[in-house]
Amino acid sequence: MPSSSEPTDEALAAQAAGGDASAFEAIVERYQARVFRLACRLTSDTEAPDVLQDTFLQAYKHLPSFRGESRFGTWLYRIATNAALMQRRASARRPSEPLDGFLPRFDEHGKHLATPEELQVAACAEELLDRGVLADKARDAIARLPDIYRDAFVLRDLEDMPTADVARALDLEPAAVRQRVHRARLLLRGYLSDLVKVKS
Amino acid sequence: MKEIACMSGVELLMDFLEGVLPADVHAALEAHVAGCPRCAAFVESYRATPRILRDATATPLPDHVEASLKAFLRGRTGSFK
Repeated sequence: MPSSSEPTDEALAAQAAGGDASAFEAIVERYQARVFRLACRLTSDTEAPDVLQDTFLQAYKHLPSFRGESRFGTWLYRIATNAALMQRRASARRPSEPLDGFLPRFDEHGKHLATPEELQVAACAEELLDRGVLADKARDAIARLPDIYRDAFVLRDLEDMPTADVARALDLEPAAVRQRVHRARLLLRGYLSDLVKVKS
Repeated sequence: MKEIACMSGVELLMDFLEGVLPADVHAALEAHVAGCPRCAAFVESYRATPRILRDATATPLPDHVEASLKAFLRGRTGSFK
């Protein structure tokens, strides 16, 4: 977020579209870390550098068409998301083990089978697991999500985009975004529980 | 007021937290969670999951990747000279 003395994204975008190289450089400096983080979450650490490069090249080419109808960050994230999805399609992904076994379990009356302590424990994963182990397992779990859940979850929950912006980025209705994010949260919550050795 | 079981409540959780449920359903689910320790615990872990995974996957930009990006853009856009 720029301070009050710094130019806004939109002002930089207008200058860059007019050929001001320093304005484009400022945009890159401002967003490169966030775009890289998004690319890692949507693809992999090894594919993310290519996504990063493609994103800023595409942004450079299309800056003259940026009309300010959405915030600049939303516009750039949409380009980055498309670049990541293209990269993923182009790469041969190994089949990954589904996470379906981590959904919550209920009895015949629809009541949770697990105890409150078991159901709550995923919230303590950070305290119970080594930080490096958790980082590795988290990346693995996200990569194991079906793509349609992964994309919605990454944008909505990991990048903290409003549901309406995610819907526009993925060309979905907001209700479909919520359904996909919900499914991803259920699977990942169960996965975190399992990491700390609790079936809930 | 409608009766809600844990299983149907779980299915409504995202819409509940986003505030898009009809008022009567929202109130019924709120009442169920308030009176069900299992669902209260489930909601806590459901809400914590995105934050935990966000923190765990916040990959920093490596210096060599940043340098490659700028070299790439220098060659194609004339910036970063």
